[in-house]
Amino acid sequence: MTAALLHADGLSVGYPGRVVGAGLSLELRGGEVLALLGPNGCGKTTLLKTVLGLLPALAGSVRLQGRALAAWPLAERARVVAYVPQGQASTFGFTALEMVLMGRTAHLGLIARPGAKDRAIALQALERLGIAHLAARSVHEVSGGERQLVLIARALAQQPQAVLLDEPTASLDFGNQGLVMRAIRTLAREGLAMLFTTHDPNQALRCAGRALLMREGQVLGEGAVGQVIEAEGLRALYRAGVRQVDDAGGGLPVFLPEFETAQATKR
Amino acid sequence: MKHPRRASRDPLEGATPAVRQSRPGGVSWAVLVLVAGLLLALTQGRIDIPLSDLGQLVWSLLQGAPAPNDQVQTIVLQVRGPRALAALTVGAALAVVGAAFQGLFRNPLVSPDILGASAGAALGAVLGIFFSFGVFGIQMAAFVGGLLAVALAYGVGSTVRHGDPVLVLLLAGIVIGSLLGAGIGLVKVLADPYNQLPAMTFWLLGSLAGAHANDLPSLIGPVALGTVVLLLLRWRMDVMSLPEDEARSLGARTTGLRLLIVAAATLVTAASVAAAGIVGWVGLVVPHLARFLVGPSFVRLLPTSAVLGGGLLLLIDTLARTLAPVEIPLGILTALIGSPFFIVLLRRASRGWT
Amino acid sequence: MALENPEHAHPRRRDLLIAAGLGACLPAGAQGTRSVVDGANRRVNVPARVQRIFPAGPPAAIWLYTLAPDALIGWPRANRGPELEFLLPGIGNRPEVGRLTGRGNTTNLEQLLTSKPDLIVDAGFTRQTFVELADRMQAQTGIPYALLDGRLEATAQGYTLLGELTGRTERAARLARYTADTLRTVRERVARATAPPRVYYARGPEGLETGLGGSINVEMFEAMGIRHVAAGLQGGLATVSIEQVLAWDPKVIVTIDQSFAQTVHNNPLWRGVSAVKNGRVHLSPKLPFGWIDFPPSVNRLPGLWWLGSKVFPALFPEDLGAITREFYQLFYQVELTPAQVQRVLAGRE
Repeated sequence: MTAALLHADGLSVGYPGRVVGAGLSLELRGGEVLALLGPNGCGKTTLLKTVLGLLPALAGSVRLQGRALAAWPLAERARVVAYVPQGQASTFGFTALEMVLMGRTAHLGLIARPGAKDRAIALQALERLGIAHLAARSVHEVSGGERQLVLIARALAQQPQAVLLDEPTASLDFGNQGLVMRAIRTLAREGLAMLFTTHDPNQALRCAGRALLMREGQVLGEGAVGQVIEAEGLRALYRAGVRQVDDAGGGLPVFLPEFETAQATKR
Repeated sequence: MKHPRRASRDPLEGATPAVRQSRPGGVSWAVLVLVAGLLLALTQGRIDIPLSDLGQLVWSLLQGAPAPNDQVQTIVLQVRGPRALAALTVGAALAVVGAAFQGLFRNPLVSPDILGASAGAALGAVLGIFFSFGVFGIQMAAFVGGLLAVALAYGVGSTVRHGDPVLVLLLAGIVIGSLLGAGIGLVKVLADPYNQLPAMTFWLLGSLAGAHANDLPSLIGPVALGTVVLLLLRWRMDVMSLPEDEARSLGARTTGLRLLIVAAATLVTAASVAAAGIVGWVGLVVPHLARFLVGPSFVRLLPTSAVLGGGLLLLIDTLARTLAPVEIPLGILTALIGSPFFIVLLRRASRGWT
Repeated sequence: MALENPEHAHPRRRDLLIAAGLGACLPAGAQGTRSVVDGANRRVNVPARVQRIFPAGPPAAIWLYTLAPDALIGWPRANRGPELEFLLPGIGNRPEVGRLTGRGNTTNLEQLLTSKPDLIVDAGFTRQTFVELADRMQAQTGIPYALLDGRLEATAQGYTLLGELTGRTERAARLARYTADTLRTVRERVARATAPPRVYYARGPEGLETGLGGSINVEMFEAMGIRHVAAGLQGGLATVSIEQVLAWDPKVIVTIDQSFAQTVHNNPLWRGVSAVKNGRVHLSPKLPFGWIDFPPSVNRLPGLWWLGSKVFPALFPEDLGAITREFYQLFYQVELTPAQVQRVLAGRE
């Protein structure tokens, strides 16, 4: 087993004067997908940002490739770890290609501008996600899902070893959700370390290999998705009714929130 | 540009990279405005100089021969030439800073004065008038005032540790600008109402009437320096226009870059305001016009803004001195022309600031 | 008082006693109140003895200083060192009291009341706005408020009126006579000029600020009949471009700005102007008060001679030094040494 690319130990995360989570540890390796699963407000986004170095840790340590994160210069860090935020509309309507080219920042000098090689890498990233046809379109003119894919392409343009995504399917329609999740699985198979936060246990179950369950800043469970994502654990996680629907064909079960009205399960 | 691995067509094939997503010939329009502005500035005025005379003068200058007409030479080289150059420089400067700030503050409604440079320069100038400095002294006081005001705003902003640093800087700038504005009011109250107050009023309204060949180095020097820095950083400005977290995760050292951009922009703004007084709206409207022509990426936007800003201010300054026998203050004209322009732009920008 | 009805030619003794008793109860001042019509046709009741006068603005202060310096309570703006040298000691350095009206109202009303003036004098416009302001101030403070017409040509009448208000009629008559004579003489001479030169009035350190036709700033020029280049445009102050000045090409430039006067000859932009070429750029004297333009008051009288001699040297052969000494002795009540006369005429601080 390769050494962990990203290793967080005993982290306390939050803001000055406000601890959002404590005692948090995680490990991320190349080729695997880790899901941070938990209800809204559990601290998973704060944990994500702390692990990225965007927020200073209140306690504990984060190590990237064995070295303390704080010791990494910003540009060097960006060549190893990429961040895909939730895709809000940016102020200006850059084209998809211009947006993806920004991923090359860490590879370019202060006054350098992207060259032919950078453009090639950017186009390649777009193609990898099947959105090369959007290259010349403004990000204001594409759908939410396509915008999210553009941001993932931008992360890929950084040529990182790990990609950390914050609620990547939050604003996506049904079809695009599948697209993004498939992309995450494919990228992991190609060797990238992927980490995403989600509040949907089914996503975590299907896309990730391991999951970290969080509630109110505490870890409730950690391990292979098949083991930690099960009805009882989810009930404890969400403090709500959870219905498990098994797949007759032997596939992965589906977890639904318990609805008040009685519904016959299909068999 | 074909991708090596795939046989299918490059989606960008046929589109010139630099003109993607821009109006056909976007930059050309800007250049056209500049050339028109320059020609009008040199030929129009109290004394009519037909284009042919101008051409003759240029030709003889190029050949090193003496000018055919002495009066034409004086007017063009001593009076209109320096003034045109000043207008061009100030217009380009304000437009570039306006564009840079709109990116830096992630807000298409900011202008170069947002950090208080104009207010600081204005305070320096009215103090210079109050203490009866000469022309050069007033300009120097304005320049220094502009630099100090932004340094103060930046200093105040950096003491606030939490919150979005861009928003904090913006608010600090507004507060400092307001404070300095009160200072200007105070000086105006204390000033001699017969002599100093009119001089202050005219200065504050903006004018290039006193533009002089000797003043040009102290204007063009700082403006050129600052503009070069901004132009070199223009691709990074694309990145800086993203939310702070995103920009940093991409590897941009936002704090240092912000300082560099603000410093260069302030050098440019202070020098421009010191030379021309307070000329508003150019820094706000021209970047939007330029964005309309060439798209939002700063790689194209910054140079286009410079050219367009220079040309437009040339045209406006020519109006300022030809519409009436007396000078119409520049600030009044830019406001009168800029506001309706801006309303038109607002209505067209239905889909974000593309 | 004449009795109109002969049937009441002998009022009853009791009525007389009552009237006398009432009369004894009236406040002392009201007994000696005089009624004067001021320069805006307002009837103002002033006390018989006026010993403390409050100037509403700089023009009024100068009027009062020349006529009744001892009664002047203070100055709207404190006089500075160089100016004090040319004013009566003890009067020139009286305290700063702010301006009551005009541009920038800075007097504290309570301050005004505690200084207990017998009269407030204002010199300037007599239009409706200012009449109303005067009436309001008078009603609010109870202090008589007299308005003088501040126009140059109304100066002589102004002195007469001021003399009546303050009880200094003799001195007022002298000053009025000097004023009328000066204005008349100067006008006559200018009218005789055969080829009057165009004059440009330069203000501001760049010399590009000027007074348009009808503005108070060029009142002197127009009162004398001198053609100033911006007379064709009506208005107040305005900036012009150097190109416009070149197009006007004035033969004489009159300026009030010292730095402009010093730098204009080395300025390549101005070298093409006839006035600069012929060395006819003149800096006006300004100690203790400016000789042209501002404050728009009697301080401009010597300026009439000065302006005349600069624009029409042939028609004004008089020795400016002698005129200066005479004016300063008569109006400002100070004796000037020859060195001081030179300083004044040089126009510098």
